[in-house]
Amino acid sequence: MSTADARSGPEEEVRRRLAEAQARVLAALVDGAETPEGFDPERMRVQAVSLVAKRRSVVARMRPDAARAAGDGLAKEFAAYAAARTAPPPGYHADADDFAAWLRAKGLLLDEPPAATEPRPGGEGPGWWRRAIGRLAGDA
Amino acid sequence: MADASPGPPTRAGVSLNSEVADMGGLGVGIGWRAEIDLSVERMAGVDFVEVVAENIRPGHLPESLAVLRGRGTPVIPHGVGLGIGGAELPDPARLAHLAACAEALGAPLVSEHLAFVRAGGMEAGHLLPVPRTREALDVVTENVRRAQDALPVPLALENVAAIFGWPEDELTEAQFLAELVERTGVGLLVDVANLYTNQINLGLPAVAALDVLPLEHLSYVHVAGGYEHHGVWHDTHAAPAPEAVLDLLYELCVRVDPPGVLLEWDDDYPSDATLTAELDRIRSAMAKAAR
Repeated sequence: MSTADARSGPEEEVRRRLAEAQARVLAALVDGAETPEGFDPERMRVQAVSLVAKRRSVVARMRPDAARAAGDGLAKEFAAYAAARTAPPPGYHADADDFAAWLRAKGLLLDEPPAATEPRPGGEGPGWWRRAIGRLAGDA
Repeated sequence: MADASPGPPTRAGVSLNSEVADMGGLGVGIGWRAEIDLSVERMAGVDFVEVVAENIRPGHLPESLAVLRGRGTPVIPHGVGLGIGGAELPDPARLAHLAACAEALGAPLVSEHLAFVRAGGMEAGHLLPVPRTREALDVVTENVRRAQDALPVPLALENVAAIFGWPEDELTEAQFLAELVERTGVGLLVDVANLYTNQINLGLPAVAALDVLPLEHLSYVHVAGGYEHHGVWHDTHAAPAPEAVLDLLYELCVRVDPPGVLLEWDDDYPSDATLTAELDRIRSAMAKAAR
């Protein structure tokens, strides 16, 4: 399937323009930059809030210790954390660990917990008993 | 390449090497998540599943997925982090991961989204709509071809749920996808909940989109629920699908017999009974169209 040579891609200039446009939009959504001209500011605000909510749910799954420490205040604490950081996170792992560090700095998270792990892969490692019990429960 | 897969044997009749997968009869499925692995295994009526590719390691598959593959249940790797609608060429390492997932799972295809997820060194953490211009179409076309070249199985692209639109949009998402299909032969993963979301949030008529999408290239369908807040639909995948979404599934099934329909449920997991009832609602909508 190596017919790539016969196909002409877009000009570099086109990719550069698209990169700039997408970076402007993303900076507005995750880095507090101005909404680019022509975009509906209210829609962009809702999208930004939605992205924070998505981050929060993933971070809560990766760092259940941090989610437990924040408790009912998770949404409020995460929003404050997200607004306080000067640069958007490079990924979910960093986000999860940074949020935990932020909670620790506020005295809300006391222990030095383990680094963020991938979302729990089902049925691996010490969780084998959960599957065994679950099967029995399912058969009952 | 796919023939060398160390995974369990693939279903008879599934042609792994053809550019258009013979997806005949995937049936009705559910998104496999670690949190509901046992439910997915024991629920009746799960014909196939999808797994978020970024959440697995091909060399160390979760036992539950091995169990499902052992039974012959097809497992489709579903990527969320490629950002094929981004300005950069797709990352070879991410493509290699998707390819390795497809091999390890003996998957008939791989799916991803028509979206960008990073730009200017920043990660969005979720799927964002691409500007639907002719210029962007050229970029995404090349990106899709690169991805197809790197994958051992066909690729299907999903329409996304959007909260905002780009001022420079020249095409609807359906037109943009139709062009992509025409240029690259990429398959379609039509998410009817996302069509509904865009109808509520952006005023884009969902049924009209079904009339524009080249449904003969349909790979499978997504169904999911969400909630409305201040006139904005949030596609959370954490609630039963609204009737309007099942009506859209019906409208799709009137136009084409879908190779597969899959329920996505990603948070606030309910009982097995609730999930089974959701699969039944999907089957009812499909059956109504078949009458």
